[in-house]
Amino acid sequence: MLLKAMIKEEWRIHSTLFGSFMFALFPIILLSFSFIGSLFLPLFQAMMPGRTIAMMLHYMFVLFGVSVGGFGLFGREAMNRRFGQASLLAYSSRSLPISERSIFLDFFVKDVIFYFVLWVLPITAGIGMALPFLQINLNIFLILLTLSLSFLIGLSAVFLLSTIYAHSSKLMIFLLVVIALAATSAFNISLINPLPSLSFFLAPTPEKLYFSLLLIIIPSGLSLIFLKVDYPQKKRHFKNSLDSLSKNIGTKYSQFIAKDFLDLHRSEGGLGKIIFSFLFPLLILWFLLSIFLNFLPGANFLVVFSLFLGIISSSIYNWLTEFDLFSAYAFLPVKVSSVIKSKLISYIIINLISLLILIVATLYSGQFAFFLPALFIFLSVSSYALAITLHLTGLYPNILLYNAKTFALYIFTISPVLLVLIFLSVWNPFSLIFSPILIPLSLAIIRKSYNKWDTWQNPTF
Amino acid sequence: MNVIEIKNLSKTFGNLKAVDNLSLSIGEAELFGLLGPNGSGKTTTVKILTGQMKPTGGKALILGIDVLKNPVEVRKLVGIIPEQETPPSFLTAEEYLHFVAKIRKMKDLDVCNHWFSFLDFEDEKDVLCKDLSRGTRQKLMFAQAFLHEPKVAFIDEPLINLDPIIQRKVKDYLKNYVKKKNTVFLCTHVLEIAEEICTKVGVLDRGKLIQECSIKDLKKKRKSLEDFFLKLVER
Repeated sequence: MLLKAMIKEEWRIHSTLFGSFMFALFPIILLSFSFIGSLFLPLFQAMMPGRTIAMMLHYMFVLFGVSVGGFGLFGREAMNRRFGQASLLAYSSRSLPISERSIFLDFFVKDVIFYFVLWVLPITAGIGMALPFLQINLNIFLILLTLSLSFLIGLSAVFLLSTIYAHSSKLMIFLLVVIALAATSAFNISLINPLPSLSFFLAPTPEKLYFSLLLIIIPSGLSLIFLKVDYPQKKRHFKNSLDSLSKNIGTKYSQFIAKDFLDLHRSEGGLGKIIFSFLFPLLILWFLLSIFLNFLPGANFLVVFSLFLGIISSSIYNWLTEFDLFSAYAFLPVKVSSVIKSKLISYIIINLISLLILIVATLYSGQFAFFLPALFIFLSVSSYALAITLHLTGLYPNILLYNAKTFALYIFTISPVLLVLIFLSVWNPFSLIFSPILIPLSLAIIRKSYNKWDTWQNPTF
Repeated sequence: MNVIEIKNLSKTFGNLKAVDNLSLSIGEAELFGLLGPNGSGKTTTVKILTGQMKPTGGKALILGIDVLKNPVEVRKLVGIIPEQETPPSFLTAEEYLHFVAKIRKMKDLDVCNHWFSFLDFEDEKDVLCKDLSRGTRQKLMFAQAFLHEPKVAFIDEPLINLDPIIQRKVKDYLKNYVKKKNTVFLCTHVLEIAEEICTKVGVLDRGKLIQECSIKDLKKKRKSLEDFFLKLVER
């Protein structure tokens, strides 16, 4: 019953903001993109074996599960802070005779259903609809099952890791190192074996299905058993750090930026947020590109990696806004554009981590000659993706992107640019030194956004 | 000059008229109480008057400034205690007051200390806002609204979580504040408080202002505010 109410609540949060129709249209738009993308499958088949395409697709769904699964870490905050102290069921149900564990289980299942209906099902259906045009013999129900299993494996793994992190960050870091070492050694063995959902797709046997299910049930079960959703009674004391931090930052918006960093530092998860929502997906991206680029002889690993690093780094803006709401400032003499500007500065500061990753990637790959085009493409893509996100969604990217129209606009404005850049990076990586022409364009879009969001009526939940 | 001047203000949400053609003038040194049953449009009115929400029609001037055209300018000059908002979870009480003081471009941050001692929560100034009790958070919201000594204050249910000792202090503070030629626009359900501290009240029902009255006149007529209110809004 609580689960049903939570699903209704999730629907209403989105639909009250931009209408039920636009929200309901979102999976249809996604299905259309998936359908169109799948029509290009023969092109990929000409480049690489079908098994590799299947592997990439399944690992991408693991990656999706990983990025979604971070909520286990954010837990209570994702429930409370995203919507202020609003009376979300996950929070207000604490006054009912239901255990924290049951509430969180319902919250977990609700999110699984939500992402399954909104993402997994439409993408798979899009692939299924394209199959008759492609003369590829694939069982659509099998692929729906195995992609869903892959998504859930990724999600459960991060759920478990985040629960471990809540108990001991050292233990989690140790486990991450073990996973990284296992992933490295996986280069030398078959990549199919570690992912039973994939091996089930390639050669279905009941054992592989059971093994896939166990990989979902055991981590999720352990996470629920050891779940740490405590509501500490103890008051936490801190000495005033806001003043010194904002003094050191020294900009017009320094108090907002200082607040962003204190929020990040003092809220649950702390640095874990960066690990789960940014570094972990990057690790998987590195792994996927290492395989994929073997089939694209002209492509330079560092340059293509930097391009995707730019896209993923733009998501930093999403979680900077996830934990802050404009309604907290609405009664103060503050413009929406001022908060956006402060988020942009925070974004630039945190994005130094991405730059560091790029430097480490250059050192690791030894492709020093490609550092400059890689840097340019990273900066250009990162700023362009950010500008488009900002223009379309303001301070609410995590909500407004589910508006079908906004999502379609997002895809139509970002993907052509990315396709051209991907083409250029394969054709001649050094041609990308011209990519910074995107930066002034991005700045113009950002400037235009300020006025748009200042005059927008802020939503209330 | 009237400090608050409202002309034909209205706000609709779909078919619902939350505020219906509201006109009102409030002068200097007045403590005006906007009374009304739940859902009568009090909070919506405050949100419009403080530039947090756009009206569907009408006009509002606060200290002579058009709130529709210059909402930020209005918020610079006034103090606001919103009905629902609480201070940000991961700042301490002291950090929050400093945060607000910096937004308001105040040079002297020591003024914050006065509020900790006045509202009696000095020992909690280093506690994270999310760990404070409701009452202490309410004290903090009160302090942030009056930190810059505004000429006008909009306060929505300011006393509801406070203990009787602090309630007395706050009521006295508001009375003195108005004596210094400042103006308060107060929304409340608690008629006893309105009767005790307001100089004038208005009764809002289903978005319409159905009656305005000075507390002095009520007292002259030996009527209680409760009787006056219930007679107007009883269905």
